[in-house]
Amino acid sequence: MSTPMLEIRNLHVRVEDKAILKGVDLTVPKGEVHAIMGRNGSGKSTLSYAIAGHDGYEITDGDILLDGQSIIEMEADERATSGLFLAFQYPIEIPGVATMTFLKAAMNAQRKNRGEEEMKTPEFMKAVRAAASDLSIDTAMLKRALNVGFSGGEKKRAEVLQMALLAPKMCILDETDSGLDIDALKVVSEGVNHLRSPERSMLVITHYQRLLNHIVPDRVHVFSDGRIVKSGGKELALELEAEGYSAFDEAAA
Amino acid sequence: MTAPKTAQRTVHLSEAENTLISQLLGAGARQAADEMTSVGLPTRRVEAYHYTDLKALLRDVPAIAQESEQVGVPQFRVPGAYRILVANGRIQQSTTPPNGIVVSEVAGSPLNERDDVLVRLNQALTGSSLVIGLQSSVDPVVHIDHRITGPASHAVSSVKIEVAPGATATVLETFSGSDSAHMGTHGTRVELAEGARLTHIIVDLSSAQSRHFHTIEYAIGANVQLRNLLVNSGSALSRTQMFGVFAGEGAHGDFTGLNLVDDGQHNDITLDMNHAVPNTTSQELFKSVVRNSAKAVFQGRIVVSPKAQKTDAKMMMQGLMLSEGAQILSKPELEIFADDVQCGHGSTCGELDAQSLFYLMSRGIARDDAKAMLIRAFVQELLDPIEDEELNEALSGIVEEWLVRPQAGT
Ligand SMILES: Nc1ncnc2c1ncn2[C@@H]1O[C@H](COP(=O)(O)OP(=O)(O)OP(=O)(O)O)[C@@H](O)[C@H]1O
Ligand SMILES: [Mg+2]
Repeated sequence: MSTPMLEIRNLHVRVEDKAILKGVDLTVPKGEVHAIMGRNGSGKSTLSYAIAGHDGYEITDGDILLDGQSIIEMEADERATSGLFLAFQYPIEIPGVATMTFLKAAMNAQRKNRGEEEMKTPEFMKAVRAAASDLSIDTAMLKRALNVGFSGGEKKRAEVLQMALLAPKMCILDETDSGLDIDALKVVSEGVNHLRSPERSMLVITHYQRLLNHIVPDRVHVFSDGRIVKSGGKELALELEAEGYSAFDEAAA
Repeated sequence: MTAPKTAQRTVHLSEAENTLISQLLGAGARQAADEMTSVGLPTRRVEAYHYTDLKALLRDVPAIAQESEQVGVPQFRVPGAYRILVANGRIQQSTTPPNGIVVSEVAGSPLNERDDVLVRLNQALTGSSLVIGLQSSVDPVVHIDHRITGPASHAVSSVKIEVAPGATATVLETFSGSDSAHMGTHGTRVELAEGARLTHIIVDLSSAQSRHFHTIEYAIGANVQLRNLLVNSGSALSRTQMFGVFAGEGAHGDFTGLNLVDDGQHNDITLDMNHAVPNTTSQELFKSVVRNSAKAVFQGRIVVSPKAQKTDAKMMMQGLMLSEGAQILSKPELEIFADDVQCGHGSTCGELDAQSLFYLMSRGIARDDAKAMLIRAFVQELLDPIEDEELNEALSGIVEEWLVRPQAGT
């Protein structure tokens, strides 16, 4: 068996002295898409931040391996240049930072890491325009400051645009579907599906089975109180939709 | 029984004060010398100097600047600008001015009398002032290049800028010089006639050892549009004080400034705006970015006179602290004597936003680059209104230079 893209072993994470993750074990093989579902506050975003390397999330035990390499000692930027990408549940608005300047800096950081030259402006513009058009993003929006004044749905689309441009090998999508209208959900899902490849894995956090009709997962995991309490195939999402989380709380107890 | 305390104590004079007294006497300014002898430099007990205790901070005063021999190339240059060099307080040969500009020289300081030590020093020590008459709209940026050259010197550069009715112009004043522990006691008076539109930019790039003092007066006529921008990134100790009077109705002023302060520096911006007539508006926006063990001071006072109804004045000060030892002191004040006005002030101070930093880094942008992006974002608002592209770029260059400046201990 080849090295999994992402392997999380017994992960314990604390936020401001409060234990949030209490022993997460998860393996996402190369080329697979896994979904995580779970109650509000169960720790899904905490897991995504801990993987992405947020300072405020202290790993007290366990390990995270990306393509066989432990990343827990790495800063967030190094994890990103190693091929990790997190589409935020709540993308941050940064006034004064132009979206285009940001995109260029991010793309060049990836290139620098690969020992490649910086991107020329026309080449960069072309890449952005193509990716934006795939996701039905109006390029006028990209002339604004990063995420500033973007609607909820526009922010989510912009996250997927960044993902497409940075071409990571491990994508984490934290509730990328929330805030999207029905048509946008389709467009964004198609964009995500388009990125599926044997060399790329995804972890899709969602509350709604609907997304999983578009992005069909290989595995579904149920998250409760800081750990995975049940895993199964894509039919597990339907089961959850029908029965709610309480049945699984007992499984955890 | 203890001896009764004498009401009048004589101050113990510091080395700097003694030097200043002899320099004042040398210039024939007996009254100013007497004043210095009896009260000395202001200490923190003087309200206007509470955060910038000159007696403690000004350790020595270098000798009065001699005629400059080697001036060297300008440290700050705006392509296409009309440049006038003032070296060690003396106006140097300048090229023939473009249409609309009249350059002349007049004896004495352009500053008004004021109970302030820096003003007194400038008045006493100014030999002659440069007078820039902007008689009609002027296209190129007018660059007054103040320089202190040679060994550590005390130089006094004074300028009067007169903008004729309806004229539009951009005037840039830069302060720079050789790498010695200079002192500058400069003065600028700006007189804006009815309907004048002026952008006035003041940049301090003095050497890291320098002590830089600059007093600016604005006399603002009716329907004037004024924008000023002060950018400080030089000097060990600096104080730039701006006194403005709105004397004609319908005028608007944007007073803005950026203090980029690094290890060991103490930079003070003091602002005093007086809305003396009805129907004038002003917006004050001052930002400080402080790194390592350094201090930025901002004191801003807006005075609205009793008859100045319909004044609209909003003052904002924002501080960004990049290290633990950084200090930002801010004192905004409103003194409002009219009742039908809209005035406000605010002050915020903080560190770089951790969430924003994480977001940028999560896209692969290295920590230092991400920080630089956020610092640029913080100051951008001040540079955006500067429409002249070359000037805007040159000013952005100061920020860029500051961002990559080698730091102690790294
Ligand atoms: N910075 C923080 N300080 C304190 N508590 C936090 C912090 N971040 C997260 N928590 C707590 O950790 C728990 C898990 O939060 P998290 O955001 O990971 O949940 P989630 O599963 O993503 O929920 P949702 O479905 O609502 O997005 C919550 O109880 C939350 O209040
Ligand atoms: Mg969440």
